[in-house]
Amino acid sequence: MLTRISILLAIAGALHAQQMVAPTTEQVGSPRGGTLDNYNVTQSFELGYRFKTVGGDEGMYRSVDNIGNGLRLLSSGLTVNSKDGHGRYFDEILLNTIGLGNDNYQAVMLRIQKNGLYRYDMTWRLNAYFNPGLTTAGGAHFMDTIRRLQDHELTLLPQSRVRFRVGYSRDTEDGPALSTAQEFDATGSGLPVFLNVARHWNEYRLGSDVELAGFRFTILRRWDFFKDDSPLTSAGVVAAGPSISNPSDQTALQQFQRSAPIHGANPGWLGNLFSRRKSWGVNARLTYVSGHNDFALDESAAGVSQFGGAATRQIVAGGDAKRPSLAGDFNLSFFPTERLTVVNNTSITSNRIDGQSSYSEVNTGANLGTTISFRYLGVRTIANSTDLNYRVANWIGFYTGYHYSDRQIRTIEGAQTLPFDSSFNNDLYEVSDHLSSGTLGVRLHPAKPFTINLDGEVGRASNPLTPITDRDYHSINGRAEYRLKKLQFSVAYRERYNLNAPFSFTSFSSHSRNYSANASWAPNNWFAVDASYNRLHLDTLSSLAFFAGAGFRTQLQTAYSSLYLSNIHAANLGAHFGIRKRADLFTGYSITKDTGDGRATASPSGTTDPIQALLSSVQTFPLTYQSPLARLSIRISPKVRWNAGWQYYGYHEDFGLLGYRQNYRAHTGYTSVLWSF
Amino acid sequence: MARKGAAAVLFLLMPAGVMLAQTQTASQSGFVGSNVCRTCHPDVWSSFYKNAHYRSIASGKEPPERTGCESCHGPGQAHVQARGGKTTIPHAFSLMEPRQVLEDCLGCHARDLSRANIRRSEHTLNDVACTSCHSIHHAAIPKYLLAKQQRDLCYSCHAAIRAQFDMPSKHRINEGFMQCTDCHNPHGAFAPTWSMGQRPPMVEQAGTNETACFKCHVDKRGPFVFEHPSVRVVGCEACHNPHGSMNAKLLRRPVVFTLCLECHNSGGSGTRDFGVDIQSARHNLLDPKYQKCTTCHVRLHGSNADQYFLR
Repeated sequence: MLTRISILLAIAGALHAQQMVAPTTEQVGSPRGGTLDNYNVTQSFELGYRFKTVGGDEGMYRSVDNIGNGLRLLSSGLTVNSKDGHGRYFDEILLNTIGLGNDNYQAVMLRIQKNGLYRYDMTWRLNAYFNPGLTTAGGAHFMDTIRRLQDHELTLLPQSRVRFRVGYSRDTEDGPALSTAQEFDATGSGLPVFLNVARHWNEYRLGSDVELAGFRFTILRRWDFFKDDSPLTSAGVVAAGPSISNPSDQTALQQFQRSAPIHGANPGWLGNLFSRRKSWGVNARLTYVSGHNDFALDESAAGVSQFGGAATRQIVAGGDAKRPSLAGDFNLSFFPTERLTVVNNTSITSNRIDGQSSYSEVNTGANLGTTISFRYLGVRTIANSTDLNYRVANWIGFYTGYHYSDRQIRTIEGAQTLPFDSSFNNDLYEVSDHLSSGTLGVRLHPAKPFTINLDGEVGRASNPLTPITDRDYHSINGRAEYRLKKLQFSVAYRERYNLNAPFSFTSFSSHSRNYSANASWAPNNWFAVDASYNRLHLDTLSSLAFFAGAGFRTQLQTAYSSLYLSNIHAANLGAHFGIRKRADLFTGYSITKDTGDGRATASPSGTTDPIQALLSSVQTFPLTYQSPLARLSIRISPKVRWNAGWQYYGYHEDFGLLGYRQNYRAHTGYTSVLWSF
Repeated sequence: MARKGAAAVLFLLMPAGVMLAQTQTASQSGFVGSNVCRTCHPDVWSSFYKNAHYRSIASGKEPPERTGCESCHGPGQAHVQARGGKTTIPHAFSLMEPRQVLEDCLGCHARDLSRANIRRSEHTLNDVACTSCHSIHHAAIPKYLLAKQQRDLCYSCHAAIRAQFDMPSKHRINEGFMQCTDCHNPHGAFAPTWSMGQRPPMVEQAGTNETACFKCHVDKRGPFVFEHPSVRVVGCEACHNPHGSMNAKLLRRPVVFTLCLECHNSGGSGTRDFGVDIQSARHNLLDPKYQKCTTCHVRLHGSNADQYFLR
């Protein structure tokens, strides 16, 4: 019985998993492990070799899939459990790894604990990040970096009324990249330069939980330190080339260096008070983080100006920025009857960011002086919400809520340019916004395996910050699910509409509709199938205001709008076959296809207005991304499996919106041996 | 000698008496002890020492109502006397309503800060109880006793989110580099500090009160002298789809200038109450040079040296 449940769970897990061909999800039975002293020990290793062949844009392949060649420890696991819960130094060790060796995604998860004394959790992760940067700067913002994350959390006396916590986290990003430097004047071009990414972040935590008289009090002190010491240097001699605005642009960057170290710290406090009684509960939080950054910038560039003369530029900047940030929540819950819950929450947040920056520039021998900028951005939000959750009967329940929030944004912009101007400009602005929203939902449970959830929200904001922010919006969500042990079926619908139209010439509307259906069927332990389909629709229409013209002269354009239309069809199919308890075959297919609005070419023919032609060409971005896969796993012995798999990735853009099509197709595969004992 | 013998007999009988008294007390309260349960449920018991709930048995100090099987399922005497049957178990979780399941689990598990908001969480409102994700006796993932891999649990309800992680540009959940709980707290979270409404729901806060994105993208966190207000006031979602996108860098639009111009059109309030600034008159949108805004405005998330984010 236990074995059958384990196999069914494993199959269900394999099917629901997003379809990555490796590591292998099939298990070698249910390992009972061995006994060492008074511990039960189980281990598993999957050692394999990956291979790939890529045709087309390999840069895009590395950005999207990034599966390489070579030997890997695709996965491994170790569990050690004391049999009586009284181990000498520990009672449990859990260790899992993914992709160690050479994969571009690697992770290690470790837990060690001794009952009642300590619990230690660690995660270590590595992501080899590659991005050709075509979207953001035409390839001039290419990145090939490695990010490593690690988190350590030690809890002392985890089961007692007084607990202590010590934690450490680290986040580093290193590697080569490109960036751009805008030279040599205000209308100059952004020219590629080399960026050696070197960012490090460390956080230390110390905290405690105390339970007393039915209240739990948590306090956490944290310190984090950030360093960005990424230098920029010349990427060789690069020229801007002619443009429509400047057909005779001769700008060329010959020498360049910039050091711009930023060092900062964010020490903070968190306090939480929690209690739950029979008819009421309280949950209060207060946090305070005092962030600051110190920075300096030293830049020198030499080359040719846009008019063909020799040009040099030296920039020196320095200063600091501070951000005291406060957030508080006070949450009161009432349970007047078994069936009714009333929760009221009041929140306040305050962010005050202020800093000053001194900027000096010497441009081709001309001293442009020093500008001292002072900036303040204060954001204060007060919010209150009340939610009621009422279960009328076991088969029906309602919930409703009302939320109100008030936000004030205060901005101060000050500047002084020396030695030309001794006066100090100091502009002060204040903006406020109020948001009211209401929610209503119903839960239906007409039969044990069948549930229906429906809810909606309506909101109105008075003065949102941006034209695309929620202003006059509503959302509707519906979900029906039929769930048995061997069969699961669900359908869902979600829509969210927003209209932000304060004035006739600046308006924004968005309509988002998601439809989804999902089915899983595992009738026995040798066959299971899982299928899902989603349709994600989004259309937005936004007024635009920009400058454009045929040549150097530009005119303000306000008669155009930006239409964006996305119709994404996403489907997944997975099937598992067990063959005479000896082998397992898994086949799967996933496809994500944005059909756009069905047009055949990026820019509809017959459009003579060049501005309209440009805007029409980016209204939709049809592409197809698909991935069939197959995996065969054969049980060699009760403890050993041999596995082999193949996965294809196909990426196809219909239009070359970014200059060219980044299409690629890749065959990837692996073979491995899984050993569990 | 006879006295010594009698004393020895008494000494030997005392523990037996104490045990008998304990048995009678247990019997009166209906608790039978986990050793009785293992007789008929060896499949559960055989690996129960690996279960976090075994600690209550190992400790030996907990009262019967907080020890082993009966700490969750209630006193088992009626079940034993009836020779089985789910209906005779006081707390048979497969027969219980979601709210009852939640109350039972919180009886012990309410102590953690991570569950402080569970009563107002979206999951609770939608009857997603503890046992929807956690499998106490047949956990596929020993850590946190999860019924399946974490992403599979989330995908089983959030199909549209799963579809976003199938897109070309996505956070690496499927590859195992990330987990949903890196950004979300499935037990409920405090109200987001970077937006006005209650959305996005259940997002864990980085650095105790900031958007979860800053947990990893620490270089975007600042503080900067020249902040891009939308990052601080609206959040990263103003420009990015956090789960996945058909466009590079999780952007909401395939090309950058539409993304920028949809806000920078003098609409909205901006920070000065006369709309978000429109682009400079020096920029000619028909010139490809000005169609990739971030070529020059490289420090888009915030800058210390330039108010236009040029360096």
